[in-house]
Amino acid sequence: MENTDNILEIKHLTKVYQDETDTGADPILADLNLKVGRKEFLSVLGPSGCGKTTMLRCIAGFETYNGEILVDGVSAAKPGTDRIMVFQDFNQIFPWQTVEKNIQYPLRLQGIKDKEQLQAVSDEYLKKVNLDGVQKKYPHQLSGGMKQRVAIARALAQKPKIILMDEPFAALDAMTRNRLQVELLNISSQEDCTFIFITHNIQEAIVLGDRIIVMSKKGEIKVDEKNGLKKPITPATPGYGEMWQRFHDALEV
Amino acid sequence: MNKRREEFSDLIVKIVFVAVVLLIWESVARANLFGSRSRLIFPTIGEIGRAFVTNLTIGYAGSSFLIYIANSLKLLIIGLLIGVVLAFVFSGLSMVSRYFYSIYNLVVSVFDLLPGVALLPVVIIIFGVTPGVIVFLVVHAVIWPMSRSVLDGFMAVPRIYVEAGLNMGLSRGRLLFGVYIPAAMSYILSGLKVGWARAWRGLLSAEMIFGLANSLGIGLYINQMRTNLKNAEMYATLIVIVLIGVVVQYGIFAPIEKCTVKKWGMSK
Ligand SMILES: Nc1ncnc2c1ncn2[C@@H]1O[C@H](COP(=O)(O)OP(=O)(O)OP(=O)(O)O)[C@@H](O)[C@H]1O
Ligand SMILES: [Mg+2]
Repeated sequence: MENTDNILEIKHLTKVYQDETDTGADPILADLNLKVGRKEFLSVLGPSGCGKTTMLRCIAGFETYNGEILVDGVSAAKPGTDRIMVFQDFNQIFPWQTVEKNIQYPLRLQGIKDKEQLQAVSDEYLKKVNLDGVQKKYPHQLSGGMKQRVAIARALAQKPKIILMDEPFAALDAMTRNRLQVELLNISSQEDCTFIFITHNIQEAIVLGDRIIVMSKKGEIKVDEKNGLKKPITPATPGYGEMWQRFHDALEV
Repeated sequence: MNKRREEFSDLIVKIVFVAVVLLIWESVARANLFGSRSRLIFPTIGEIGRAFVTNLTIGYAGSSFLIYIANSLKLLIIGLLIGVVLAFVFSGLSMVSRYFYSIYNLVVSVFDLLPGVALLPVVIIIFGVTPGVIVFLVVHAVIWPMSRSVLDGFMAVPRIYVEAGLNMGLSRGRLLFGVYIPAAMSYILSGLKVGWARAWRGLLSAEMIFGLANSLGIGLYINQMRTNLKNAEMYATLIVIVLIGVVVQYGIFAPIEKCTVKKWGMSK
């Protein structure tokens, strides 16, 4: 049975960056079509420069493009709180707000004014990302991994339909990265949220993804497969090696 | 611990230096090195101290020096407020419209080069001989450096903060207060400092050149002390000018920095 309940539908997405020279630049993404199911965790692999970030920025509404991007059937051309982006850059949470204010600020924008409720929500999500006792700290007092945790908590607390993650762990050391993968896996199984997760790391894509796609030049989707391995997935899981090799080969060519 | 000690010995060195300078001053004053002009150039420290008191009690033309200070500060604050608000309004508009940005950029570059005092003749024709002239010069002194800093600060705001702001639903207007202003805070504060310093100097020179009888001010006071050969009083006034500068630096700017850019880890 195919799951037809799609939360995101990308139809004929074509993106050309209008650069100054205007030499009729080549499209970065050419006629990309993609459907993402509700509550799905989609891992996106692809060689550097193939347009993964560009696709994510189009979904987030930060770019202009040709084609259509629908969230629950409604056009999503402008940024909105139904799609929250988590960037790779550690410095994406606001340095002028404490950790908890960073999480509460978007909620206040959504109209939640009650102090206790705000406090409860920020505490809840900080706990979810295993950050306790840093509520009153400022971002410059945190490590890179802690900042990414806050960014994830800020995204989750806004209760978006889709969280867009662009290599959020790429700049972390291997140990912190593994720990955050495990945490994110737990979170994604609890939250009613769809994840689109870009990574260069095949292991990360397999461990996290319910479904994994490999993009190649111009946003062509070369591989698109459901992850049938039983979670939690480790390199010792039966079938892991073959799967890793498949994606590795797809990325090579 | 070591840092404390360093700061302490630093302080001692400064105090000793000031004491030595005062000592030299006093001995020069007593030695009458400059003959008949000595009392004008180097009044004794005792005389300057007494002048402080007479400035406050007697003052000039029936008004205590405090009235002069209050008047200067009043015009200064009005001018600063107008200048800062205008700088924010124009810089904010520059973020909305590219054309406005390039025009305003040009305007700022041009007017920033014009010393306010050089505009005095024109300004007097416009405003007449009124305190409005002083306010105008203060606005002129503060608005251009402030705008330059705010514009630079806004342009330097990392795109990621703006996009995070847009993502959480900030409209263009709220983006200004929610992202641009806090993110550019260190630029804004350095603009304020430069603006204040220029305004303070501009105010004093304007008052001295154009001392209005109907607008008492510190600059006017210095001039009157000079013409009346009351040099001890004049020195006492100079010290007050320095003190006001110190109060603004350590009483206003330092605390603002401490609870913004320093606290946020953003100071350059
Ligand atoms: N703002 C821009 N203006 C012009 N060209 C751009 C811009 N951003 C990206 N590109 C180009 O678009 C192409 C795809 O970039 P994109 O950042 O989407 O790749 P990516 O798949 O995310 O790569 P990486 O894995 O290295 O992050 C690249 O060739 C890049 O040079
Ligand atoms: Mg990228």
